[in-house]
Amino acid sequence: MVHNWRAAVCVAGALWLAVASVSRAPIQAAQTSPTPSPVPAAQRAVFKQYCLSCHNETLKKAGTVPVALDAESLWDVAGNAATWEKVVLKMRAGVMPPAGVPHPDRPARASFLNWIEGELDRVAAARPNPGRTEPFHRLNRTEYRNAVRDLLALDIDVSSMLPADDASYGFDNIAGVLKMSPTLMEQYLAAAQRVSRLAVGAPAPAPSIEYVRITDDLPQDVHLPGLPFGTRGGTQVNHVFPADAEYEIRVRIARDLNESVPVYTEAQNVEINIDGVRVGGFTLPGVGAQPARQGGAGNRGGGAAPARGGGAAPARSGAPPAAPADGGNQEPERPQISQIDAGIRVTARQREERNRADESWNLRIPIKAGPRSLVVTFTNRTSAIDESIRLPFQRPYPAGVNIPETRLGVHLRSVEIAGPYNVTGPGDTPSRQRIFSCRPAQGSGGASPAIGDACARRILTTLARRAYRRPVTDADVTPLLAFYREGDSFDEGMQRAIRRLLVSPEFLLRVERDPASAKSGAPYRISDIELASRLSFFLWSSIPDDELLTVAERGQLRDAAVLSAQVKRMLADKRSEAFVVNFAGQWLFLRNLQAVVPVQVIFPDFDDTLRQAFRRETELFFDSLVREDRSVLDLLRADYTFLNERLARHYGIPNVKGSHFRRVSLGPGSARSGILGQGSILTVTSYPDRTSPVVRGKWILENLLGTPPPPPIPNAGDLKPTSGDGIVLSMRQRMEQHRRSPVCASCHAMMDPLGLSLENFDAVGKWRTLGESSGSIDASGMFPDGTKFQGASGLKQMLLQSDRFVPTATEKLLTYALGRGLEHYDAPAVRAIVRSAARDDYRFSSLITGIVQSPPFTMRRAE
Amino acid sequence: MFVTKTFLPRRTFLRGVGATLALPLLDAMVPALTAQAQTAARPIRRLGFIYLPNGVARNFTGINYWTPLGEGPSFEFSPILKPLESFRDRMVVISGLAQHQADAHDDGANGDHTRGTSSWLTGVHPKRTEGADIRNGISADQIAAAEIGRDTAQPSLELAIDLNFLGGQCENSYACAYMNTLSWSSATTPLPTENNPRIVFERLFGDGGTPEQRVARAKENRSILDSVMADLDRQQKSLGPGDRTKVSDYVDSVREVERRIQRVEQRSASDLPDLNQPSGIPERFDEHVKLMYELQWLAYRADITRVVTFMLGRELNFRTYPEIGITEGHHGLSHHQDNPNQLAKYAKLNTYQTELFGWFLEKLKSTPEGDGTLLDHSLFLYGAGLSNPNLHAHYDLPLVLVGSAAGQLKGGRHIVYKQETPMTNLLLSMLDKAGVRPEKLGDSTGRLEVLSGL
Repeated sequence: MVHNWRAAVCVAGALWLAVASVSRAPIQAAQTSPTPSPVPAAQRAVFKQYCLSCHNETLKKAGTVPVALDAESLWDVAGNAATWEKVVLKMRAGVMPPAGVPHPDRPARASFLNWIEGELDRVAAARPNPGRTEPFHRLNRTEYRNAVRDLLALDIDVSSMLPADDASYGFDNIAGVLKMSPTLMEQYLAAAQRVSRLAVGAPAPAPSIEYVRITDDLPQDVHLPGLPFGTRGGTQVNHVFPADAEYEIRVRIARDLNESVPVYTEAQNVEINIDGVRVGGFTLPGVGAQPARQGGAGNRGGGAAPARGGGAAPARSGAPPAAPADGGNQEPERPQISQIDAGIRVTARQREERNRADESWNLRIPIKAGPRSLVVTFTNRTSAIDESIRLPFQRPYPAGVNIPETRLGVHLRSVEIAGPYNVTGPGDTPSRQRIFSCRPAQGSGGASPAIGDACARRILTTLARRAYRRPVTDADVTPLLAFYREGDSFDEGMQRAIRRLLVSPEFLLRVERDPASAKSGAPYRISDIELASRLSFFLWSSIPDDELLTVAERGQLRDAAVLSAQVKRMLADKRSEAFVVNFAGQWLFLRNLQAVVPVQVIFPDFDDTLRQAFRRETELFFDSLVREDRSVLDLLRADYTFLNERLARHYGIPNVKGSHFRRVSLGPGSARSGILGQGSILTVTSYPDRTSPVVRGKWILENLLGTPPPPPIPNAGDLKPTSGDGIVLSMRQRMEQHRRSPVCASCHAMMDPLGLSLENFDAVGKWRTLGESSGSIDASGMFPDGTKFQGASGLKQMLLQSDRFVPTATEKLLTYALGRGLEHYDAPAVRAIVRSAARDDYRFSSLITGIVQSPPFTMRRAE
Repeated sequence: MFVTKTFLPRRTFLRGVGATLALPLLDAMVPALTAQAQTAARPIRRLGFIYLPNGVARNFTGINYWTPLGEGPSFEFSPILKPLESFRDRMVVISGLAQHQADAHDDGANGDHTRGTSSWLTGVHPKRTEGADIRNGISADQIAAAEIGRDTAQPSLELAIDLNFLGGQCENSYACAYMNTLSWSSATTPLPTENNPRIVFERLFGDGGTPEQRVARAKENRSILDSVMADLDRQQKSLGPGDRTKVSDYVDSVREVERRIQRVEQRSASDLPDLNQPSGIPERFDEHVKLMYELQWLAYRADITRVVTFMLGRELNFRTYPEIGITEGHHGLSHHQDNPNQLAKYAKLNTYQTELFGWFLEKLKSTPEGDGTLLDHSLFLYGAGLSNPNLHAHYDLPLVLVGSAAGQLKGGRHIVYKQETPMTNLLLSMLDKAGVRPEKLGDSTGRLEVLSGL
């Protein structure tokens, strides 16, 4: 009984192929089909032999296959485009026919697919369906942030003002699910208030506190990228100071597990810089030698500067301080390691004093308004470390192990920026320069806003045009002016008007309207203005700039040459970083790195710098492909990457020194070439404690081949880490348990062999030759179509040759560009983009140009 | 680049970062409350729904860390529920209920987790789609919010712990919204959850300034919304009829916010507490959860909201809990493979979750309100959308009711209902106790006997 049920589930699971991926929602064409072309006998024969032997009514009724394809009516390709696109997808990806059943030979397969695709494309050309984007497309949180940046020259973190957005189809810019709710509306109101005040600097903001917590796994013993040389640890904060005023910078240091400040023999110096200029510092005195017990065994290092304040003796003496308990023991103790305070005796009172040491680390100084970089860091002494010291953990509180502080010097826990106090004025900030393109003729500022009406109108017209991304009329500016006039001064009036602007539906929503002339259900070309927004949100995740808007207003954007010149300009612009971070970050799951916490006892050297380096490497790499206009195939095969010392050490690549990233050539055939050799991808596709060939295989199927398998069926069974007699199994042996169960085999036969080929990379992307079972790793793999290959390089070769890699990349790009899921009727457009990019070796610009010139991007179906 | 912003310090809750505007919490709150409690004509009833992701530590072949031994008043606490022992007389453990709408129906096993969440409070089988046509049903909390939340500044709060922007974390063919929230204000409107204590705080109390400033700001916001409404009217006229309905979300939101602002304005300025603002998301799970509970406690206490949903994590999340020695990802661990060791470990995690819930209940119990405590006037549902996670089972769901619901809940019992009784019947009974009496919810077939009678 149980078995039957499981068998049924197995079959349903096995034949996910027909239902996955290309969405089922078909827009059935109402019109009559174009003249069907006769079906060549050869194609019928291929289909009959290799598809219909399983996909027939008999086996469907038996529950073996989910779809039957033997109806004669199917050969009306136009009427069954959705079904045929699925057939094409499955065959191109190599998942159909499945491994182990007869396959057509290469020429027959190619001929069959080309014929079917030709038919589908012919039908589509005769009856184009560009799809219909949603009429309203709310800006997501990232787009809101960028729009504010480009509109008001104000770059602030809005994640503390707005919630994260729901994703669909793998991206968080999908119009259909970006809903509005009362709570969100309230948050937009609150954000508008804050943003407008920051931008204008008036009315003077009330004091508030920005609190920055340094993550526990950010190492503080080493120099950090971007911080001054000669320093270690600390942090850098980009902060917008809202006014010329006094601010208080409060520095707090990390505590140990007992919430005590650890004891260090050396004085610890904190330096505070703003925009590279030192503005102050603090010192935590060392608890070294007490005068009475000067000397002792280990007076190492010498020459340390006397500590400021606190009254402590010179640092860096290893002798134990006056120790009450076993003080009678005259035997000199071993030199104590500075960070293990268990080894250094301090009295309770001393400890209490130390714990209050940073209470007064508050630096109150005048700071000019505007964005500034605040650095709080420690001066580095010697980096020589006692050889007996092992640094087992980069993080301070190893799970479940109550051991004392293991870090070498004092660590930063938090930085607070409080203020503004004693405001002297709004200052001269980039935001004010951007906004105030004019000033009222006289009595600037103080006088009634009515005086500044003409100037205000000018400013608001400019702002509204940019914010609404279209030419504006009086009807747009009048409501803004009304708010402006309520202000007590010119500046405050502008602040009110901007606040109103920021909650305008036309700012928060991208609106696309059917032209009055559009025939219901018919495709039409969207306006140049709408196209400009599609472009800027695609490539910049932000609003169009003046140049793009102007070109659009002149109606020139529909000109292919102008369009491609704009694309080129936009990709070269710094704002296109947003494309890399948002598109690649979501497509390749880089965002997930933030939530990855590998198990400490297995991966003791994983820390936040490594996590950040992983992400940075892949971002820089992807960015270089776009900026240098390389082939999208280089994503898998490029012979270079970007490394800093930390990452190079992790990869075992020598001679990369320092914390900054630089381009590094990889040798021919390097395992690290392409994204499949990068720690980011390898880590986000692993479990916290081990690799997962399943997750890696699934990631490849989903993101590189565009054929996602379903999640495991319930109670799929047991994967034992050891054999019956307790011997640890290799990952391959563990995975082979999947194959023994028919319930699992159908999907795992595709996922596992892909993932297993990457087994030489451990769960944090380190190269290894021995696996869990201490046996050498067998990295042989198999493609879904049954082709066998070896290791990561074999996998890359297979993917490069696959029919599906470039189309999948194109589909992801198009989904992201349109903000909607793709439907079967988009497939002809994808094929056309890929075909045309092929002539240019699939360069990024050719794919992106293909997308922005494609029917789905330039056209829309009327309601 | 390596700055992690706005994290709260370890072991500190609602810490004073409000600098100049800090008043001690309790001093600010108590007078306002006392006054309120005295004037309240009837006890305020509050409803809370707390959701555990990835089921609980049990299988169907003998290992069960959740279900108490014995039925009726003489039940024995199970390991997971043990932390709630001191609430015995105020709690009812409920076994046997099922959420049929979470089952696959014709949609395939793919989506068991998603549906576990999305149908938990709706009793509706969610439409399998990633597109604009997402469809579920109105959720029990929102039915309650429309009634008992009508007079509060925030009719409901939707809270969560996990980040919801990670890639590949939603089941294929289901929009992430189905898994990110329990709350649907209509069949097509999922309400986003918030996991950042700072944002939640600002929703409750505004973003700082004196009470007078906040009221002034509310007035300004109202005039902005009036003006926005005029914009929307103008825009609607230029749209086709189909598109026009799509802007209704926006219009409804603006109207609702206007109503909320009115409610804020109606309160005298002195009613608004002057509090310290939390600064961000604490790193550790327990600290984050406690802070979110503390915010709920504040919201209930100040009567800013009466209805809350709180997700202790998303389904499928891979969080580790090193602070209690759990270094496997949550979802992976939940697929316990019937392995006794793994089940024991998972039970440890579930117990940890329940301890935190107990911490919250204790806080409610020790806060006087009117003739009793906050807990006396509240009712909480604590449980999961999966029972045995290894099977993705949506039946015999782990569910507990806690609170006194103003004397309407007779505690100290373990009630075992007939297997397959719809969970929506329980939700209806809960709504009854809150004075909201919808005829039906999703697939409900009636009220739960025994429970409803009391």
